[in-house]
Amino acid sequence: MADAGVRFENVWKKFHRGEMHDSLRDLVPALARRLTGRSPKPGDLAEGDFWAVSDVSFDVRPGHALGIIGPNGAGKSTILKLVTGILRPTRGSCAVRGRIGALIEVSAGFHPDLTGRENVFLQGAIMGMATADINRKFDAIVEFSGIEEFIDTPVKRYSSGMNARLGFSIAAHLDPEVLIIDEVLAVGDFSFQQRAFDRVRELVSSDIAVIMVSHQLDRIAELCSEALLLGQGRVMRQGSAAECIAAYVLAPAAAPKANGRSDIPVKLHSLSLPDVAARSGDRICFTITGTVAPGGLPSWVEGVVITVRSAQNGRAVFSTSTARVGTQLPEEGSFELTVGLQLNVPAGIYAIEAKVWDRERGDSFPGPASYLQVQAGVDFTGTVQMNPTMSLSRSLPSRPGPTG
Amino acid sequence: MPSEGLNPSDRPRLLRDLVEIGSDVWRSRDLLYQLARRDIRIRYKQAIMGLGWAVLMPLLIVSAGLLIRLAMATASGSTLPKGAIAGIMVKSLPWAFFVGAIGTSVTSLTANMNLVSKVYFPREVLPIGTTLAQSFDSLIGATAVTLILAFLGVQPTLALGWVPILALLLFLLTLATALFLSCANLFFRDVKYIVQVLLMFGIFFTPVLYEPAMLPPTAAKLAMLNPLAPLIEGLRLAVTQGHSLLEPLTQLTKHGVAVVWQPWYLAYSAVWAIAGLVASATLFHRLEFVFAEYV
Repeated sequence: MADAGVRFENVWKKFHRGEMHDSLRDLVPALARRLTGRSPKPGDLAEGDFWAVSDVSFDVRPGHALGIIGPNGAGKSTILKLVTGILRPTRGSCAVRGRIGALIEVSAGFHPDLTGRENVFLQGAIMGMATADINRKFDAIVEFSGIEEFIDTPVKRYSSGMNARLGFSIAAHLDPEVLIIDEVLAVGDFSFQQRAFDRVRELVSSDIAVIMVSHQLDRIAELCSEALLLGQGRVMRQGSAAECIAAYVLAPAAAPKANGRSDIPVKLHSLSLPDVAARSGDRICFTITGTVAPGGLPSWVEGVVITVRSAQNGRAVFSTSTARVGTQLPEEGSFELTVGLQLNVPAGIYAIEAKVWDRERGDSFPGPASYLQVQAGVDFTGTVQMNPTMSLSRSLPSRPGPTG
Repeated sequence: MPSEGLNPSDRPRLLRDLVEIGSDVWRSRDLLYQLARRDIRIRYKQAIMGLGWAVLMPLLIVSAGLLIRLAMATASGSTLPKGAIAGIMVKSLPWAFFVGAIGTSVTSLTANMNLVSKVYFPREVLPIGTTLAQSFDSLIGATAVTLILAFLGVQPTLALGWVPILALLLFLLTLATALFLSCANLFFRDVKYIVQVLLMFGIFFTPVLYEPAMLPPTAAKLAMLNPLAPLIEGLRLAVTQGHSLLEPLTQLTKHGVAVVWQPWYLAYSAVWAIAGLVASATLFHRLEFVFAEYV
């Protein structure tokens, strides 16, 4: 289908907090309205209602992959349910064209008393495969899962890893035009995860429309070109995957939390990077501006702490401070701090944060942050730069050859 | 969703819904088959009795019926009429089917909660699947009953041609009830308890163990109001008495000549089955898209 794809236009979805009404008195009027086709204006929120998704629009064309990221409860899974048709939007329109394949809850349909073989057929049918298709792909599915020897064992005797592997293998053999992926790449052992990821990458590159939800930001960065950052149902940022991932990782730093303290001795105003793109091994320079509050620099100020986080997992890969480097902040007044860093890091997205650190209380005052996209450098791949040196000398053969 | 043929919005809503339900179910026929197969496999895989399951329920009904009829005959100082055993045996099957199908399909949506809330497929397949699985049981039961009837000396007649028609109407009526109740139980979890009680006492309000002609004339007429009654009585008359259901049948009872069968009894049940199915399938289909939020 040439025009397969997913299009969301100003989609809103209302949910109810707490228990749903389960008395006839509440339902009868609602039912009557629904049956007569006269639903109430779904615009307003009744008591206990909230918008699980509010005003989300996006368009995913074949050959494109959209990553959806955000904290728990941000509405990611709700969006996927709207795409698959499990839920209908309260307002707006969700248009999906093409056969949907969903890598969600890949073993939800398994029955513990049935064997792996029987469950392949059952789960496959639940995911929308025809029995003839499953018959044809059965061997490939079992081989992919790597549990050939246990295929005639009831699933209740499977380990949870085997269960997930079999489920994923079935889903991976769907032949979708629109692919939905929800957090299923972390199943099984290391080698299976690799295989699963390779399979997904293969699907993504096969000119179908893909929507993917994951907390594994490096997977999103690798597979998706565009992304959507959600927070409490709202679109916080929409654009390139790098931009959204960085915004997500930076979000905690950007949140104004001074821990209720008003005695901020140093205010940091800005962190400006000349360019957000660099290569592994490059040296970058940026400036941080700040002001030391009148009254002088208290002794408990460690100085300005600079932290570089990998956006893939949020982990700090490097941290230093003015105190550690031996730079003294002025006793009063505004300043401009120039920082140079050697990017001995692999390709990826990195967040750079500046903070003021209270050495006595182990507390920090939030500061500005920015992100940097590092491209693969020339002389290394891997996770650390080990500054290789190599020298070559010609050694004499230890034994002369038969002719020489 | 792609749709074929006419622009669907040109049709009246009810027709549009029915077409949608039909095409949804048709497209999910493989899923339906797999779900029914799952239910059958599970029932026969672990049960010690295996295939005996399908026969146990009708057997219990027959024994209970014989006991009651024997007690009634003793109390009135008469003997058990000749066709009584065969009659109860024939009627135990449709009742066992109805009870079994309704009992399992009431919870068919709630028992598959994680599927309903996480995977998309037409939800109709769940109650339809359990009803189909029960049909398989009843087919085994029917085979057993056929053998016993032959042993009891019941002669096959042309009226046996009514059996598939009655079976189809019973299936549709059961499906209508299953769709409605499974949907109701999703919204109100106590529906399954009410249904259990109704099914338990339903046997007294359905002419399974007795024949309506044993009741006073007014009560006999009221008994036939139960949409299941004409199907069950019709089955008995066709199988054990070789009666063509297009002909009325009268019988001499203590209260005088009683009308045992009228052809329109069948039409009455057929209307219930078909109108009921249209109504409950439409209701189910229209509420389907909120299932995931309520389950």
